[in-house]
Amino acid sequence: MDDKKVLFRIRDLKKYFPLKKRNPFQRETYNVRANENINLDIYEGETLGIVGESGCGKSTLGRTILQLYKPTSGTVEYFGDPANSHKPVPLHQLSVDQLRKYRRDMQLIFQDPYSSLNPRMTVGQILTEGLKAHNMLDKDPKKNQEYILSVMEQCGLAPYFIHRYPHQFSGGQRQRIGIARSVALNPKFIVADEPVSALDVSIQSQIINLLLDLKRDHGLTYMFISHDLSVIKYISDRVGVMYLGVVVELAVTEDLYAFPLHPYTEALLSAIPTTDADHKREIRTLEGDIPSPINPPSGCKFHTRCKYATEICKEVEPELVELRPQHFVACHHPLVDRKHALF
Amino acid sequence: MLKYVFKRILYMIFVFSVMSILLFILYNGIQGDPARAEIEPMKMKLEPAQYEQLYRETRARMGLDDPLVTRYTRWLGKTIRLDFGQSIRYQRPVIDVVKPPLQFTIKINIFAVIIGLAITIPLGIFTAVKKNSIFDKSVQVFTIIGYSIPVFITALLFMYFFAVRWRLLPLNGMETPNFKGTAAELRADQIRHLILPLIVMTVTSLASITRYVRAAMMEALSMDYIKTARAKGLKEKAVIFSHAWRNALLPVITLIIGWIMSIFSGAFIIESMFNLNGMGKLYIDSLYAKDFNVVLAVQLFYVLIALIGNLLVDLSYGVVDPRVRVNE
Repeated sequence: MDDKKVLFRIRDLKKYFPLKKRNPFQRETYNVRANENINLDIYEGETLGIVGESGCGKSTLGRTILQLYKPTSGTVEYFGDPANSHKPVPLHQLSVDQLRKYRRDMQLIFQDPYSSLNPRMTVGQILTEGLKAHNMLDKDPKKNQEYILSVMEQCGLAPYFIHRYPHQFSGGQRQRIGIARSVALNPKFIVADEPVSALDVSIQSQIINLLLDLKRDHGLTYMFISHDLSVIKYISDRVGVMYLGVVVELAVTEDLYAFPLHPYTEALLSAIPTTDADHKREIRTLEGDIPSPINPPSGCKFHTRCKYATEICKEVEPELVELRPQHFVACHHPLVDRKHALF
Repeated sequence: MLKYVFKRILYMIFVFSVMSILLFILYNGIQGDPARAEIEPMKMKLEPAQYEQLYRETRARMGLDDPLVTRYTRWLGKTIRLDFGQSIRYQRPVIDVVKPPLQFTIKINIFAVIIGLAITIPLGIFTAVKKNSIFDKSVQVFTIIGYSIPVFITALLFMYFFAVRWRLLPLNGMETPNFKGTAAELRADQIRHLILPLIVMTVTSLASITRYVRAAMMEALSMDYIKTARAKGLKEKAVIFSHAWRNALLPVITLIIGWIMSIFSGAFIIESMFNLNGMGKLYIDSLYAKDFNVVLAVQLFYVLIALIGNLLVDLSYGVVDPRVRVNE
């Protein structure tokens, strides 16, 4: 993995959302701790899958990396600026105006294709606006039109769609518009925030294949956020598992799915339905609900639901350590010393 | 589009005729005899028999004994030619009675609307963008206060401070009585008389529209496409005005057109308090004086305004929102 170039280096990233004070006499403000101490490297050309339950901070992580949310603390460094000879650019320190230059390189695809497109703009306007903002438009309007049409074609949109409004399209087509919009800027990095979870299963595969094609043609790097383990397995090179704002396990996809080290990952994987009747496997259901991110459990955040939990889990927060090559886990009792009864 | 407008106009004609029938029947059912009202002054001078004779002649001349349908068609025919009959109170044609207050009401309200929009729209947008800031919160407090205080209290307060206490502006009326001076001085005097009612009109409309614009803007700003626009790397100005404001415009436009339509109906309370000769005052005064020809004309005018207003709202939807296709 040393030959791979790092594109983003994220260190100790925290994002808290302060809650409103319930009354003026309340002394401390409570925070929703959406992300805590995230350490992550994103390599150029990979697809990093992020998986976890609803509310575990996946989307927040994506948006905080893009600086759409200002991080509470921690650093996000970007290595993809050729003008800066690929030296790290500290995105977290830039002002909104300075960031605008880098927005072109890092784009976002939204989960909801219905609300993420401005209903008052035609497809052509939606696609051109970003180009205009980054002075990517040619003086010759014909060339611009050609470029837009070529992007639309790559994303599977017919040329005559250009003058239509978003409400005239189906969910899958709208998602294609959203993808075309981000690809038109020729970015290096795209955060795909659950891009397929609002779509029918038949359309999901089309969109995923489109994303893979675009990645191959444009040399993109993806951060693919999803709660769907099978989608993540199909598209990702590496997978990070999140629980309550923390990355609990991070590994190459095959490795993670074959040898999960964290009890939470194990429970998630065992919940994937299977059609294999010969090898019956135990389903390890998780007891209880996900604890509140306002007042998370001490120590290991998973200890309230973990059947292997001991005293140490309640007190000491486990570090993310590399237990196997390129396989990181944050657990006091990783599953290495147990037999892999699961698969 | 043309076909749609044509269809809507047909529909408007239908509604207007139904309304005219209803109003005509209603005002004919009201007690009072226009023939007797006309010859009343001569009652003392004539013998009872002569009086009776004259009364019958007058009734026949006015066509009061014809069947209702005949009377209605005759009235409608005149009305379409803008002949609304005589005003009993002023002994002049209705159209001449209505004209000056209508002109005055339109003039003062156009100013009120322009000033109002120039304040409320930027204020609403700004408070939505700076949501929960101290500025926003104080504006919220003021709009709630403005919303809750009745017009006549606001008017009295302004009159007390500006006209009585500080003597900056005239208290009421359209111009200084027996004003002597050149035409330009008279003009300036009239404008000075307009300032105070104009301020009160604007202030009372500020609160609701500011809140409305703020709410519409906040909803638009919370949408995902605003994040899309920011992620594209657009300038914040472009995000706010070309993305959020264009989407917030639709609910606001309904309100604004409704407001502009109210230009014509006038504001009775303000007109009465400042003793202005506007539409609202004319309407109520004519009702009290049982001057039904004037009332009927004013009422028909209101019906017409309401119908045109609705058509304008629907057409403007089509202009502002591409999702609304008005030709269907």
